[in-house]
Amino acid sequence: MGLEVGEVSVRLDGLLLRFMDQMENLQEKRNLLNSLIEAGWFAMSKARYAMGNKCVSSLQYGHEIAPLVRLHTSALEKGEVQFRTERMEPKPVENSKEEPKEVEEIGPKEEGVRRRKTVNKKTDKEDPLEPKEMPDTKEKTEPDRMVKGQTLSQDPLKWFGILVPQSLKQAQSSFKQVIELAAEIATLQTQVEATREEFRTQLQSKQQLLQGREP
Amino acid sequence: MAGRGKLIAVIGDEDTCTGFLLGGIGELNKNRKPNFLVIEKDTSVTEIEETFKGFLARDDIGIILINQFIAEMIRHAIDAHTQSIPAVLEIPSKEHPYDASKDSILRRAKGMFSAEDFR
Repeated sequence: MGLEVGEVSVRLDGLLLRFMDQMENLQEKRNLLNSLIEAGWFAMSKARYAMGNKCVSSLQYGHEIAPLVRLHTSALEKGEVQFRTERMEPKPVENSKEEPKEVEEIGPKEEGVRRRKTVNKKTDKEDPLEPKEMPDTKEKTEPDRMVKGQTLSQDPLKWFGILVPQSLKQAQSSFKQVIELAAEIATLQTQVEATREEFRTQLQSKQQLLQGREP
Repeated sequence: MAGRGKLIAVIGDEDTCTGFLLGGIGELNKNRKPNFLVIEKDTSVTEIEETFKGFLARDDIGIILINQFIAEMIRHAIDAHTQSIPAVLEIPSKEHPYDASKDSILRRAKGMFSAEDFR
């Protein structure tokens, strides 16, 4: 009985040390996260000062936004969960697809008279292979493509204009780092919770053993 | 949908949401509810709590980022959430710096020890 209590006590000590390490790690990452967030806000304020008060606000959010960051979760042992971010590169927004325009030929067709060969856009449809008997589907695909073009992953920086100040790019960079750190902190939090649960279980079994020993 | 991964949601003031949306976590389209909520001065606690519970109910959100001063308004709802996913991360705001003593996760960890435990 004494040995069992001893073993449980050793396990408890190990769990406590692990818990302290995890808390210290969590504290460090938290401090870094808070500093990065504050740096991001500071850079955003500088951008606002340069561009105007209303130019960096929720009014500039896109009408349709596609996420550039995805989170992958994997369950580990003892209830721990690992969070991992995956960032996709923003794709340029595509408007309706256009076939390459034919080169205009400028040259005299007839002697003394210059005529331009203009591209006949009526016959050059986006998909010339589609039969002309289905005009409805073509009309449907065009707005679909337009919508698709708008919902393609676009760099959120472009909401604020074509030429944005460097401070806004710095803000974006800070928040990108914050997002990655957030995933690490979420992982650590689940580890802390798992260690806490295990500690509590071991403590309860130790107390039961001790109560069993006492007359 | 599962193969594409989960999203990161954010409930925060305008600067917080703008920053994280700049980072690329936002999703907004007519088919689904947005994964962010911008808290204004007139936003009700009911709306905040409903949005938070809505995020918890969604199976495509992995992390919820929330300003700590907003988390304080719905502390009961956050304390009631004990599952690993989605993870709730409390972050500071411009007017309210981060206070570790208010964080739900750290308060639970602090409550781990009592005088009797060290008998």
